[in-house]
Amino acid sequence: MERTELIAAINKTFVETLEVPEEDLKPEAQIFADLGLDSLDMVDLMIGLQRRFGISLRQSEEMRQIVTLNDLYDFFEKLEKQEKAQGVDTDSKIKEIMNQDK
Amino acid sequence: MNKKRCVITGMGVVSPLGNTLEQFYTGLRSGLCGIREMTEWDIAGAGTADATYFGSPVELDEKFIKSLPRSMRRSMSKISLYASCAALQAIEQAGLQIGELNNQRTGCIIGSTMGGTSAISEAYRIVTFGKGLEEMSSMQFFKSVSHTAVFNVSHFLNITGTVMAPCAACASALQSIGHAMELISFGKQDIVVCGGAEELAPEVSGSFEVIYAGVSSTRMKDPKQCSRPFDSRRSGLVCGEGAGIFVLEELEHAKARGAEILAEVVGYATCGCGTQISQSDAPAIRKCLEMVYADAEISPDQTDYINAHATSTLQGDFSEATAIREFFGEKTPPVSSLKGHIGHTLGASGALELAASLKMMQESEIIPTLNLESPGEGCEGIDHVMAEPRKKQLDLILKNSFAFGGINAALLCKKYQN
Repeated sequence: MERTELIAAINKTFVETLEVPEEDLKPEAQIFADLGLDSLDMVDLMIGLQRRFGISLRQSEEMRQIVTLNDLYDFFEKLEKQEKAQGVDTDSKIKEIMNQDK
Repeated sequence: MNKKRCVITGMGVVSPLGNTLEQFYTGLRSGLCGIREMTEWDIAGAGTADATYFGSPVELDEKFIKSLPRSMRRSMSKISLYASCAALQAIEQAGLQIGELNNQRTGCIIGSTMGGTSAISEAYRIVTFGKGLEEMSSMQFFKSVSHTAVFNVSHFLNITGTVMAPCAACASALQSIGHAMELISFGKQDIVVCGGAEELAPEVSGSFEVIYAGVSSTRMKDPKQCSRPFDSRRSGLVCGEGAGIFVLEELEHAKARGAEILAEVVGYATCGCGTQISQSDAPAIRKCLEMVYADAEISPDQTDYINAHATSTLQGDFSEATAIREFFGEKTPPVSSLKGHIGHTLGASGALELAASLKMMQESEIIPTLNLESPGEGCEGIDHVMAEPRKKQLDLILKNSFAFGGINAALLCKKYQN
């Protein structure tokens, strides 16, 4: 899975679930300070990401430490590597996710 | 203590007959009925009489919903959208702007029966049949709670005075308006944005069906004729939805702003019956009527019109007619109910019907009770307005609302005179 594909899928969740304008989604943007979101939005962002990626994030302590979009992309890249190590075909998975969005 | 005078300077509605007071009133005057079969409801026992529901739904303009910033919209289920749309109309008519209500002297009181019914149902589905908390939105609670309409409207309009939500089912709206009047009369608030709202939902309609207070779909096939307040062929109520919101204001405050004064609220009373939870009680209603005229210090014979609660149930309409007959004597004021047109909008009903009644006051006419052809046994002996609108100058009107739980409320409004 390419990082660009991962970023596109994550950004789509911000746009669709939280109506954040795509042009605001810069890697260095802070989720609270720059995107105008709050802790309640983070719960709904998490639900959106869970649905899109078919994973469970609710009990993840790491997810709660995320500040910037880049932190989030890094976190998902790490998750992807863990899934890959467990034998999940993450390349097909991201294609499926992107196809669902079409 | 001298009570301050309380006037109405703004009104807004979201109703099954349209989402402005003009549209709503035109529909009422034309004898339209907002009731239809709720074919979109997926209810267990499909095809049986118990799963055939009539309802009186609202169609809210998507443009209004999209005009709300997401930070406001995210915590709103339908009830709050309805209340916000009506509240915006009301403050616009009152000549008030968002941004000038942030002063602790402006309050917001909006009641309902259920709060966000659709969100409550959704929460149960997620927790019980879905993926549990994994799928539960952070907004579920805020969309569900019993005060969801009032806190959403107070945020939307940035109101920072008294914010509260009476929950007394079908009496909620009148309790909201009545309490707003009291806050203003006793000098605690200058302005209160107030009223009632409700969502139409099968879980609530079903609650009436289960105790045989809902309309019988086996006897009433035509949704346009099934809600028949006071009529001999009535068989039960049909639920509706919507919101009615008013701007109540202290008279001198309104005059100082140069606001147009639409009417004066002169009396309010609410009481419990203390015995019944589902059946309205004529002696308790009569007591409520005594209390409201005492509060207003006005003789009942001054009344020009009664907008009845009359929901089209066998027992409720009988009790109200009995109380009116006994309280007013042989010559009652003209009486009509609007629930033949829009069904019973529960927590919104007192406010929606009051708004229509005040429009009747402006137009000097009374909208007749739709589908009332022949008063039922025990509903005779009061001056029913039937079939055609009746021209009449309306200087003093009485609005009744009675709720499950044995709670009664009545409000008196007078044409404004300096």
